[in-house]
Amino acid sequence: MNDPFDSLQEQLTHLEAGEPLETVGADLPEAEAGLLQMAAALRAVPAPERSLNTVSTQRMELIRAAKSFKILNTLPNTDEVRRLGQPARAQSWWPLALAGGVAAMFACALVVAALAGAVWLWRSSPQPSVAQPHSPAATAVAQASPATVALAAPDPQHAVLAEARGLVEIQSSDGAWAAADAGQTLAAGQRVRTGALSGVSLAFYDGSLARLGPNAEVSVDSLDAQKTGSRVILLSQWSGDSKHDVAHSDDPASRYEVATPSGVGSAKGTSFRVSVTVLLVRFDVDEGVVAVTHLNVTVIVVAGQTTIVPPGEAPQEPVFHISGEGEVTAIGDIWRIGGQTFLTNSSTVVVGDPQVGDWVAVEGRILSDGTRFADRITLLHHSTENQFSFTGTVEVISGTQWTIAGRVVRVDDLTKIDEGIAVGDQVEVQGGIAQDGTWWASSITRTAANGFEFTGVVQSIISDTWTISGISVTVNVSTTIEAGIVVSDVVHVEGEILDDGTWLATSIQKTAENTFDFTGVVISMDPWIVDGVPISVTEQTTIDEGIDIGNRVRVAGRVLADGTWLAESITQLDEGKRHHVEFTARVESIGPAFWVVGGVPVSVTEQTKIDNGIEVGDLVTVKGNLLPDGTVVAKKIRLASPTQGCVETSVVVQTINADQIVLLNGQTIPLDGKAKVKGKVNVASIVIVLACADADGNITIVSITVVYQLDALPPPPPQDNGGQDKDKDKDKHPDCKEGPGRGEGLCKHDDDDDDDD
Amino acid sequence: MRELSLTQRGLGMADLPRPDLVTLAQGGDVQAIGALYDQHHQALFRYIWARVGERQTAEELTGDVFMRMLAALPRYRPSVVPFRAWLFRIAHNLLVDHYRKESGRVALSLQSAEGVSDEGDPVFLVEQKLTVERVHQALAVVDEPQRSVIALRFLSGLSLEETAAVLDKSESAVKALQHRGLATMRRALAHEKVLS
Repeated sequence: MNDPFDSLQEQLTHLEAGEPLETVGADLPEAEAGLLQMAAALRAVPAPERSLNTVSTQRMELIRAAKSFKILNTLPNTDEVRRLGQPARAQSWWPLALAGGVAAMFACALVVAALAGAVWLWRSSPQPSVAQPHSPAATAVAQASPATVALAAPDPQHAVLAEARGLVEIQSSDGAWAAADAGQTLAAGQRVRTGALSGVSLAFYDGSLARLGPNAEVSVDSLDAQKTGSRVILLSQWSGDSKHDVAHSDDPASRYEVATPSGVGSAKGTSFRVSVTVLLVRFDVDEGVVAVTHLNVTVIVVAGQTTIVPPGEAPQEPVFHISGEGEVTAIGDIWRIGGQTFLTNSSTVVVGDPQVGDWVAVEGRILSDGTRFADRITLLHHSTENQFSFTGTVEVISGTQWTIAGRVVRVDDLTKIDEGIAVGDQVEVQGGIAQDGTWWASSITRTAANGFEFTGVVQSIISDTWTISGISVTVNVSTTIEAGIVVSDVVHVEGEILDDGTWLATSIQKTAENTFDFTGVVISMDPWIVDGVPISVTEQTTIDEGIDIGNRVRVAGRVLADGTWLAESITQLDEGKRHHVEFTARVESIGPAFWVVGGVPVSVTEQTKIDNGIEVGDLVTVKGNLLPDGTVVAKKIRLASPTQGCVETSVVVQTINADQIVLLNGQTIPLDGKAKVKGKVNVASIVIVLACADADGNITIVSITVVYQLDALPPPPPQDNGGQDKDKDKDKHPDCKEGPGRGEGLCKHDDDDDDDD
Repeated sequence: MRELSLTQRGLGMADLPRPDLVTLAQGGDVQAIGALYDQHHQALFRYIWARVGERQTAEELTGDVFMRMLAALPRYRPSVVPFRAWLFRIAHNLLVDHYRKESGRVALSLQSAEGVSDEGDPVFLVEQKLTVERVHQALAVVDEPQRSVIALRFLSGLSLEETAAVLDKSESAVKALQHRGLATMRRALAHEKVLS
């Protein structure tokens, strides 16, 4: 064999077959024998022993991850999987409050016109056959464009539960409630309900989907969800919030109805939401058209609008809704959120006690005089200005100041300090930065390598195993458990994740908090899954760069109402020797090697990534490491919250030309290319205007999206009724008042419309 | 009918030929996945350690390989590439990513003291450390393709065919690379009189 490469390989083959080196290389030329000797020597190089602990941990984490994947893989496609980790804001469960006002501009004549032009056929909707003590009175009927459903029911007579989070229960025929999970089916005559911090979807055979939020209860009254021909889905919603994406049906006899207990409502549309409380029933339309009927009065609600049905009253005229999120800059009767002003009153629901500087989501409506009214304000993130957090080793403990990772922090009576912390312990410090740059600790907590804490709803208690919001938690004699906790209670759990993956609780207490904090291994990053727990992230979530699947991270955040775990931070822990530090404050000075941020000298290097355009006075977030002497070395300096937030408002286009759009609320938007226009804008188009406020409060129109086209401009709104117009019927088409009751003669023109269609 | 797991069938891992193990793992059998870890972690670690030269980093990257394996397992096709070669390809790609992230830093650490066992005969440890150091130094002088081939063929024990599959090269190319790599390393190590 002449080729030296082939020759060497042939000798190597002998060597690999177990022949002694001396034998294989006996007759080889010196150079070739040398290569063979080299290969044999390399094979004999001792590799380091793997750490048994590491091997054991990796194996355990792999199996834990495999179990999670196994669960995920039961879902049919990635779309469904992605839903598990979508930001909660994308699927808001909040009820939208609605009232009259601007709605009066939609005279019944317009409603008739809208119906006549609609693709959908309007059918009377008889009372759903609900075998319950009190039959719901309101009914929503929808027939709509396609809705993507990943989990489908096995047959038209069943709905399958999907996306179950927290406590989900099904009522059987004997009236007993039993815990249910994704994959279980539901037939006509059964009810499903959710607990706090919980949610579930009902996927129907035709592809329609009903999503239930927390504390919701829905019964299936009639179900024959055929994909072709007449489709019948009749639901009754007794409490809570639901969102419905209704699959398209060509059959005019198809029905998709949601009945509610207070008032009579009928709706049709592509995508709509229903909220049932003791005070009112709300219908919100995201796509298409919805008709809501009660007391022989029908109102037509189009995309971007909403209406309410107070108990014993007719549906109020639809109004435009407004939603968004942003920084709170004023609180009181008048709030300022994301650069926009909102009125509030005692009916406004405020969740999480947000304060000035915090980041909130807002849902509301526009009153007849153009005033924005907030129905719900929900805290998303506390302000980070002049706040810091870092982890490190305790070096010195004295009465009023500790030295941790070389950094001196002040402590006082208000500082929450874990018991028993001693010099040498690893801790996390959180607190605020005083004007003189002093760091005051609000909390010093021991950072157990595998510690966890979270808030969840108790789903089951079986011996020493509790299931809390999907997490199986083990208790033992050392676990402190508040007396009287039962299934459906919301609790705060603290504990430690053991080497075998067990979540061992040290304490379980009832709580009104909604936070979580735990460490685990990243199983997936799209969607985020850590230690088997689906995690939602938003643009506000601070995520360490370089995190990859398999990394150990610490995740801290907030449990939203529907049970979504929304992360505020995801911190990499694998590089445990480093001392991460992060704080947000105003830039006080900028130098070539040192900046002063919030009174803190910050070392910058060539490796420090700094946002362009930062000036003294800007609010920035500094991320970096603490050196042994306490110096902060910045890895990144980013502008913090360059905007105050963004708000979406639904509004009608009054006029349009090549230069500008004039909205019915008087606002003029120049068509200079700065605002992105989505869809064909015409006179009487309903558009959603996305407006964002910068740090100085200057508002910029970001986009204009057409969601619906009215046939004509509505008449001017009535003056000064404050959205509480009681004489609603005067503006309605007379036909809409006729008909004996719910589901019958909702509008006399319906049949005619059907024929036209 | 639902597939039974290993335990349900009363079988142990040793009772199964490897292709079945992979198939079971693809079906979500967590025991089979654990068995795959048991079978391959040491060889993978050895390969990665040979490439990065730091035990801690090699430990972490070894774990990462299996996490990536888990994510990619549903897409694995035995008819396209042998499982071990596929697994080492994941490791190879991971190392490429690792070096890309680490570009600008020290490309190869020679702190081989981390790479030796801290237990056992002190005299042996000194000799072991010396050999490990020299091997890493010699690996540092060969080019990247040769280094990959040397590490796969002689430090991890992959066959010529498997190595070719991992690196997506022809067997002829691998033969040439192993020849040149061994020659270069021998010159470097002979200079240090490690092998003589």
